[in-house]
Amino acid sequence: MLGLFDNDYGADGFRKCSVTGLQIHESVEKYVKLFALTAIVALLYGGIFAFTVAMTRWEVVGLLGPGDFYTHLSLHAWNLLIFWMIFMEIAILYVGGPMVLGRKLPLERLAQLGWGTMVAGALLVNYAIWTTSAPDQAPLLTSYAPLPSDPLFYGGAIVFLLGATISALPFFATLWFEKRENPDGTLPLVSFGAFVTGIIAVEAIVGGLVAFGYAFAWRIELIGSIDAALYRQLYWIVGHGSQQINLVAMIVVWYFLTHVVGGAEIVSEKVSRTAFILYLFFINLGAAHHLLSDPAVSTGWRIFNTSYAFYGATFASLIHAFAIPAGIEAGRRKRGLGGGLFGWLTSAPWKNPVFSSTIFSIILFGFLGGITGVLMGQLQLNMTWHNTLATVGHFHATVVLGTTVAFMGLSYFVIRTMFMRAFISPKLASIQPYFYAGAMSIATLMLMYVGILYGVPRRTVEVVENIPGTDFSLAAAAPLFNVFGLFALLAILGGVLFLVIAVGSVLFGRKLEPGDNDDLTPDGGLYADGGDPVHTYEMRGTFVLCLIFLGAFVITYVLNWYLLSQLWQIGA
Amino acid sequence: MTSPIKPPEGNWWDQTVNRRESIWLGLGVVWSLVLFGWMSIWTRTGDQNPIGETYQVSESEFREKMNAYEEAAEETEQGLVPEGTDVYMAGIRFAWDGAPVVLEAGTQYDFHLSSYDVQHGFSLRPEATLSKQINLQVLPGYEWVVPMTFDEPGTYHIICNEFCGEGHRSMHDTIIVTEEN
Repeated sequence: MLGLFDNDYGADGFRKCSVTGLQIHESVEKYVKLFALTAIVALLYGGIFAFTVAMTRWEVVGLLGPGDFYTHLSLHAWNLLIFWMIFMEIAILYVGGPMVLGRKLPLERLAQLGWGTMVAGALLVNYAIWTTSAPDQAPLLTSYAPLPSDPLFYGGAIVFLLGATISALPFFATLWFEKRENPDGTLPLVSFGAFVTGIIAVEAIVGGLVAFGYAFAWRIELIGSIDAALYRQLYWIVGHGSQQINLVAMIVVWYFLTHVVGGAEIVSEKVSRTAFILYLFFINLGAAHHLLSDPAVSTGWRIFNTSYAFYGATFASLIHAFAIPAGIEAGRRKRGLGGGLFGWLTSAPWKNPVFSSTIFSIILFGFLGGITGVLMGQLQLNMTWHNTLATVGHFHATVVLGTTVAFMGLSYFVIRTMFMRAFISPKLASIQPYFYAGAMSIATLMLMYVGILYGVPRRTVEVVENIPGTDFSLAAAAPLFNVFGLFALLAILGGVLFLVIAVGSVLFGRKLEPGDNDDLTPDGGLYADGGDPVHTYEMRGTFVLCLIFLGAFVITYVLNWYLLSQLWQIGA
Repeated sequence: MTSPIKPPEGNWWDQTVNRRESIWLGLGVVWSLVLFGWMSIWTRTGDQNPIGETYQVSESEFREKMNAYEEAAEETEQGLVPEGTDVYMAGIRFAWDGAPVVLEAGTQYDFHLSSYDVQHGFSLRPEATLSKQINLQVLPGYEWVVPMTFDEPGTYHIICNEFCGEGHRSMHDTIIVTEEN
């Protein structure tokens, strides 16, 4: 088909990647491309609604009325937060499993069936959202019962989750076969991380099947009533669990891409793997932070899940926050590319969009997404974040500035090394990560400010200029909304630029030969010769950066608590 | 040479950890303990906690409670003046039953929050300072009793901030807080 799935494979179906040195089998590559392309279609479709939603919230434009707005908001959420991410994550599982391990994709039929089922589920969800009519309401992301959604919506969500499970089976089978053949071998870190991602995904999916199954049974009147609190608790197993898949998959991508294009090494296998194990045990419990301002769960339950448990995961993230930049620093110093405190960073391939996307993703996820996630995950601070636009700011920092930017970098990498295409415009490709991440950061910060400083609620059409039936409004937030609207437009333009480069290059880019990708590898080739063990190299640049990060964390923490302490007395 | 796409060589578990990484791990542990400790201490000593008794309640039961409360309360032009220190409030698409209500600064009131139909969001701020705002989830089937003491008189605005249907944006009401007597 359009030559999209061609490459020069040997008689045994394998080819050697000139960039990573991996032995890649045709069956794996085909499905990685299929899932990644499908993800990009979802990004394009969901991105259209980024425009309509942002231009509605910017009340100066006020594009949509409430009827259309909630439909568009639902489509934006499901296509970007779920379909774009999860199709890409299946591709990442296939990279982390069979591709890194140099194996064929087992159970190819299941990959095919899984893809088809996921597509069917995604189409069904989209159809249900478009055709929702009274008494059903647009589901948004959460479909909070007892506000009813179209039964087809619950059905579509269940079909999609089943499809994702089927698609993951060839990945698990790969690890099974690998361990059967090498019972004493250790998996490469990327495969190990992908495995942890896979397990977290299964936990999330089981929760999702139960939550949507419960709501579906209620909606088609198999059961008479639905408990709002129980639904929320079940829903958030998948609602946030799916975001943890994004997080862990993104971190796997960070380790992978910083290594391949930046020359990073693993400064401590023990520490990095321990961090993944901490995720495995704790990160899904952190989903409880959605219920911090809820009436129905006890204080002890809330504190346990969002502190003892959640900080297990927070600590794991702090580990990666050091380990990944330290890997770049030590790896580049080893290659003789790192004079002074930050020479390893300034000499890095900043014009390579694969590298710059990955670094922006790391920095912005940490500073904007990670810190705010911990803040709103505090029992008391949550009262000032819950259901405000600040929450929306938080998850745009995590899943857009973090995951989406990382996945854009990965897409650029796949275009060059798997589709074997040159970018239609290398110059635009170099600029795109700067443009997109820059504009999106400002838009995201504005969402946080209007939420925290002016209490602007999420999920509404108008509230800044007008609240029907009263003179009161949140007009004081209008100037910040102007900044938001402008930078949201620029960010959307940056997203369009990505799609033009990605789709344009896949379809019309010059076909590359294996030797043409040498510019992607770090100076001196992927594997540096000799040198001392990696832990003996200086990591003081990283240490300084991490201290700056911790400083920013402490300052925002203190400021948030200060704001909270100014409130009247609330609670027992 | 270590690589995330190759199996680690030799005894990787016993490889030395760089001193700066060890220090960072220590800082991470300390910071996680601070985060937990502060949150935990604030539940005991702090003035702002999303904590209160919760009871399961049906729509009709809560309506009965609301009726009894409204009958005992005094109706004024500004709103209901409750008889005691219990304040009942229920979300119903797209209004707040029990509001507007007139309260006194400096008195601790027990807010009984519930919903007659779907999930709502109880988002409250004084008109004068928008950055002072709290947000609590309101669920049908549950009565959440949250104590509150307002320290400054003024008009406090309630906005629903959980999507509850197409008219959601109009779901607004007020709490009038008067000077301490």
